[in-house]
Amino acid sequence: MSRMTVNGRPVEFDMDPQTPLLWALRDAANLTGTKYGCGVGDCGACTVMVDGAALRSCLITIAECEGRFVTTIEGLSDDRSHPVQQALVAEQAIQCGFCTPGIVMNGAALLARNADPGEAEIRQAIPNLCRCGVYPRLVRAIQLAGRAMRREETLSAAPAPGIAPQDAARAVPALGPAPATDIPQGQ
Amino acid sequence: MAITRRGILIGALAGGGLAIGYLLRPRHFPLPLSPGRDEYAFDAWIKIAADGVISVAVPQVEMGQGVTTLLPQIVAYELGADWRQVAVEPVPPSELHANPVLAARWAPLWMPVFPGLADEPDSAITRRWARDSRFNVTADGSALAAYEAPSRAAAASARALLMQAAAARWSVAWEECQVSGGFVTHEDKRLAFGALASEAVTFTPPDPPPLRPNPPAESPGDFPPGARLTYPRLDLPSKVDGSWTFASDVRLPGMVHASIRHAPLGSARVTQVDEDAAIGMRGFLRFVRHDGWVAAAARDWWTADTALTRAKPRYRVAGGADSMQIDTALDEALRLGAAERIHASGDMDAVTGGLPLQLRYEVAPAVHCTVETASATARLENGKLELWIGTQAPELARAAAARAVGIEASEVVIYPMPIGGSFDRRLEFGHAVEAAILARELGQPVQLTWSRQQEQVAGLPRAPAAAIMAARTDSEGGVAGWRARIAVPPTAREFGRRFFGGETPQDAIASVDGEADALALEGAVPPYGIPSVAIDHVPARIDLPTARMRGNSHGYTAFFTESFVDELAHRAGREPLSYRMAMLGKDPRLAECLQRVATLSEWGGGSDNSGQGIACHVMRGGRIAVVASARRDESGVRVEKLSAVADIGRIVNFDIARQQIEGGLIFGLGLTVGCSTRYSGGRPDTVRLAELGLPLLADSPGIEVEFVESDADPADPGELGVAAVSPAIANALFSATGYRFRRLPLFAEEL
Repeated sequence: MSRMTVNGRPVEFDMDPQTPLLWALRDAANLTGTKYGCGVGDCGACTVMVDGAALRSCLITIAECEGRFVTTIEGLSDDRSHPVQQALVAEQAIQCGFCTPGIVMNGAALLARNADPGEAEIRQAIPNLCRCGVYPRLVRAIQLAGRAMRREETLSAAPAPGIAPQDAARAVPALGPAPATDIPQGQ
Repeated sequence: MAITRRGILIGALAGGGLAIGYLLRPRHFPLPLSPGRDEYAFDAWIKIAADGVISVAVPQVEMGQGVTTLLPQIVAYELGADWRQVAVEPVPPSELHANPVLAARWAPLWMPVFPGLADEPDSAITRRWARDSRFNVTADGSALAAYEAPSRAAAASARALLMQAAAARWSVAWEECQVSGGFVTHEDKRLAFGALASEAVTFTPPDPPPLRPNPPAESPGDFPPGARLTYPRLDLPSKVDGSWTFASDVRLPGMVHASIRHAPLGSARVTQVDEDAAIGMRGFLRFVRHDGWVAAAARDWWTADTALTRAKPRYRVAGGADSMQIDTALDEALRLGAAERIHASGDMDAVTGGLPLQLRYEVAPAVHCTVETASATARLENGKLELWIGTQAPELARAAAARAVGIEASEVVIYPMPIGGSFDRRLEFGHAVEAAILARELGQPVQLTWSRQQEQVAGLPRAPAAAIMAARTDSEGGVAGWRARIAVPPTAREFGRRFFGGETPQDAIASVDGEADALALEGAVPPYGIPSVAIDHVPARIDLPTARMRGNSHGYTAFFTESFVDELAHRAGREPLSYRMAMLGKDPRLAECLQRVATLSEWGGGSDNSGQGIACHVMRGGRIAVVASARRDESGVRVEKLSAVADIGRIVNFDIARQQIEGGLIFGLGLTVGCSTRYSGGRPDTVRLAELGLPLLADSPGIEVEFVESDADPADPGELGVAAVSPAIANALFSATGYRFRRLPLFAEEL
């Protein structure tokens, strides 16, 4: 049995120990944010954090993960609040979105060890393949995320999921329960 | 008065809302948007809920190009909504969302005998065919051209209805009301859309719909770096946290996972599978064998795929695609084949016979390399098939899946899923058929996912092409006569036989043997004012089935044209930019792109060793000029910078347009330096992404993009960025090295 901690929860996978972590996450734990693109480490779409290090989950077996702490895109934040998530949305450094979770994990791992990386370091730290071509925005986005992480800037590009209707109505006048009577403007 | 959906439909038809674009006489079709509780449907495009949430139908598949934002933006603008109250709903194929623009463009593919009768989007035949076949294919940058007008008209009608409802409450004239931010206002009174929706649907909208005076437009000048976006993309928040669901992320009760192995390209079938090899594998279920493939099902995908690897399927192959054969066939076609002239202008005597300068260029097959591999989820229960699939052609996929399992297409439910980068790869829908068959054979819900290797092995590439470019110059070195002789399979017609005719890849090749194909040479007519021009197609017969790809033929025709014109400039001793400018008197918009890209890139004249190269291209009304800065290095080529200026007419969403041009440049860079493979025995020699020369962040060039301010009709930016990159880089390498690179991908001869 392969036991590990995934996104803070203890998990035991009833699978062949040689199963790559990627497939345990996707098909057993239903954590489908981690994507399969190649299975041989070329594309980076399956990148997760294992004990804080960004690893390609297609290249590591669940046996090798025994006792370790795995963080997937679902566990990075529960409200899209990680600076890398906010910055990628702010810069619109996302197109089809398939490679995005892997990019987020590499970006987050980079900023965890250096919150102020230079351009060359960012380029090396994000080896993910993106065929839509978001590269021209990535360095800028990661640097923006770094500034947010260093509290030099605040970001609120991606709203949290699951906003309650009454909270939405407070922020957006056009939303809310249908008013029974006319509301004079300016009140 | 009780409101029924049917009543709304009829009201909208009478008022013209639904009539926009398609219908000659009213006919009834089911509304593609099903209103939920407290929701009201306005036409085929909009639902407004009592709480103010506005759902916009998106009948095109999202594959990164931003259509999930673009169409809702048009509706929000025209309706006068607050962007934060707008939701989106991918809708299944519907008669009410037909794409007559693409239908007209592809008329030679679905009506090959008399395409001239159907090559205009507003021809009655085209409209009726597109509607009756629920043709809502996402391709060829047709989304805005096809859907801006009807979605905008629907929004204008809905706005008028909301105003009428408010005006009735206030006993004022509806024309005196104002609409913005999701409210109808009159003097000091205001009502939210949500409060008005139930009443609004009882009114009759004015005919024609009262459109706002200006169409939606964003000006490049309003978006300096760091500017706040007016309409940020709606799909990004869920893409950044892993909750955006692709076809392979669907999870159903009792669902199993399947992997597949296809026989090599060509006439091939599976002959042997060592099924015993999977005995004892934890979670393994069984193998399923079919004509050209074998699949395995298991509790998880890895076990299914590993079972296939262990089972070592064997195949019998006859006529498998082979690069030696392809090279020979293209060479013979180019030298000896009968050509059909698909474009002629000016004096044909000036372009006949041996012209003073004749140069040969070649482009190898190109592979898509989408990061997402093909995937589909299928459930067949009680004679009804449900299919979760990312496809650019949902109605055709639906019909094909129905045929495969012997049920009516009406018994197939398609759930349109987004795509992880298609680049036209998901115009093909074999995975829909395979998933349907697997669901039937396994008797339980199944998710089929192709392995990366299968995506490369069984995915069809863009056609290879070769050209002899010939020209006659005038006394000043300008071009007097221009002839392009291009050998390429009739790849668009071949695609059409598979796509519309359901033919197998090999049958499709045979069916179109020798046919001229203007769609396979799109972009070959130079944009320059050249007195005499002839474009000839030599339909080459190769054994490799070929498919569509982002940019399509523009990917090679722009390379031929813009490499050749660069060579002409150098031979005439002229500066490449001014040489082009001198021939662009009739296209001032392209001339402006060239002028501005020269400024943007600090164009130094492309003189010896500068490492700068320039190129331009026109695609479906869009124009682009690109300057590349490149050097030769030990790994091949190092592209340091790509500068581009595009004129795509009126821009609906500026940042999405910029994303598309940026991404197109990167995609074009990939096609320039890699994305190709040789074939032997029906198998590609290269399947690993790491060996295909795909650009990564580490080697991504600096990219700068500008747009020309324009109020011309919108042109799609999605494919435009792709075309001019390759010749710009090849021309830059000539400047850097003095050597002409006349093949794509570059350095292929060295591999």
